[in-house]
Amino acid sequence: MTQQTTTPSSLGSAPVPHEYDSHNQFFRVLWRNSGAKIGSVLLIILVITAIFASAIAPYDPLELGVGDTLTPPNGEFWFGTDELGRDLFSRIVYGTRLTLYVGFIAVGISMTTGVFVGLVAGYSGGWIETILMRTVDVLFSFTETLIALAAVAVLGPSLTNAMIAVGISSIPFYARIAYGAVLVEKQKEYFNAAKALGASHPWLIVRHILPNILSPIIVVATVGVSVAVLSASALSFLGLGAQPPSPEWGAILAGGRDYFKRAPWITTFPGVAIALTVLSFNLLGDGLREALDPHQRR
Amino acid sequence: MTQYIIKRILSGVFTIWITTMAVTLLIHLVPGDPVQIMFAQSQATTPEQLEQIRHQLGLDLPIYQQYILYMGRLLHGDFGTTIRGNQPVLDLLLGRLPNTLMLAFSSLIITILIGVTTGFFAAYKRGTWLDTTLMTGAIVGISIPSFWLGLMLMYVFSIRLGWLPVSGTDFKNLILPALTLGLANAAAVSRLTRSSMLDVLNQNYMRTARAKGLAEVTVLSRHAFRNGMINVVNMLGLQFTYMMGGAIVVENVFAWNGIGRLAIQSIFQRDYPTIQGFILIFSFVVVTVSMLLDLLYVWIDPRISYH
Repeated sequence: MTQQTTTPSSLGSAPVPHEYDSHNQFFRVLWRNSGAKIGSVLLIILVITAIFASAIAPYDPLELGVGDTLTPPNGEFWFGTDELGRDLFSRIVYGTRLTLYVGFIAVGISMTTGVFVGLVAGYSGGWIETILMRTVDVLFSFTETLIALAAVAVLGPSLTNAMIAVGISSIPFYARIAYGAVLVEKQKEYFNAAKALGASHPWLIVRHILPNILSPIIVVATVGVSVAVLSASALSFLGLGAQPPSPEWGAILAGGRDYFKRAPWITTFPGVAIALTVLSFNLLGDGLREALDPHQRR
Repeated sequence: MTQYIIKRILSGVFTIWITTMAVTLLIHLVPGDPVQIMFAQSQATTPEQLEQIRHQLGLDLPIYQQYILYMGRLLHGDFGTTIRGNQPVLDLLLGRLPNTLMLAFSSLIITILIGVTTGFFAAYKRGTWLDTTLMTGAIVGISIPSFWLGLMLMYVFSIRLGWLPVSGTDFKNLILPALTLGLANAAAVSRLTRSSMLDVLNQNYMRTARAKGLAEVTVLSRHAFRNGMINVVNMLGLQFTYMMGGAIVVENVFAWNGIGRLAIQSIFQRDYPTIQGFILIFSFVVVTVSMLLDLLYVWIDPRISYH
């Protein structure tokens, strides 16, 4: 492919991959990206770990005293044990489930709500557009952290509430992207043609606009999972998400702080686990963006 | 230009006004009785006392009256008092705000220095091992949670090497939190700088500048860097917002006495007046500083005239 230089197009107007004849070709291009390859492999490992956690983990993640307290990593306890003699490796393996679950559900909440708001605003125009997008602008300037904190302050600390809070906090982001993409699609000829043929509003939205704005949204949502995982683990770390004895990674990390000097492994491994999970989604997201938007390939 | 500034200020005022309404509503969204929740942890209070507190907080009034009352008090600088200790919320927040601002701005400087330098060289040496290394570092960097990075830096520099204190509030204590927050965001700025510089480096005027025999240093500093920085400066407002958000977490890692640490403590104590005050002050700072940084951008970029 010849190198092209264009000004970076905004995410909202990322072109749909008409360049590809088939899905196979798309995946081949994606697979050629070494980052996407590493990201996918990491993600597959994480998903397998989450599904088969009970088979992979040698111990019950909540069982106390399976080993001596604060044992450094060794042949039996790969990641060592914590202050209550629980096996850290088993806890981290089970934590994968919570992390992926929270990440996907949070993104699900923000994506569906945000896309709905953006679609309605962009499609209908007029005062509906003004009210919706002004609200989104205001929420956007609040920053995600503040919205998430306010939501947790209202709902009270728990992993489910943290997940909802993180989900709510990203709604404005997805709304903006969907809104921008809808405005672009509305200008295209196929849309006017369908409209002229007398297609109804729901039909136009669901059959014509939605499929065409989906690819930029999928890219954003992939990276969005990494953001959600980071935010949710941060809330748990602060004590506002998962509560002890949950093997959620942020919560394990927070618990390990008291034994930081004597047992640094308790804080090290969950951090590595979070970073690897976030990295896998970031790598995959970058790869998808490049594969879907060849003009930006560098 | 003047019109743009006025529009920008009005939208800032609008945002803060919406925040005051959201903050009034906040307490009503709490499932259950907020007064009971607030006091459940501390004093054993009789129903009569709870009623009295409800009256004090104005929670027995219709919501629009509560809002008018709250706004009236806010305009007089009265943000209410903390649930425990009856301290004025505004004094408490303003006392801690300088610490948060100091952390946010020093992190912003670290972010810009590291992010811009690495991004610039990655773009300039595009496709070489340097580019690959820096960009691999950047994607790993954006994946590392700030609270973990903070703990790891603390382990190395405070516990192992003993160079820096673990926590406290003097200048030496600022180094690790600022470095944590700065590094955590530098990765994103580095990626942004690289892509922005790549666009500039491929422009025709770059070829012209070289063709007319300018020294490479001049070409890079006068032509490439200046134009490439426009996008980065444009992002400053947003970056500052990230710093303020990130500060909430990092302050809690290093026990840095800013408003973020206070906010988390208030959430634990269900101290709603303080939480409300925090949200207002935080929004006010973010909106004001972002606005000033955006105006800086308009002033720097001569190509754009805002009408």
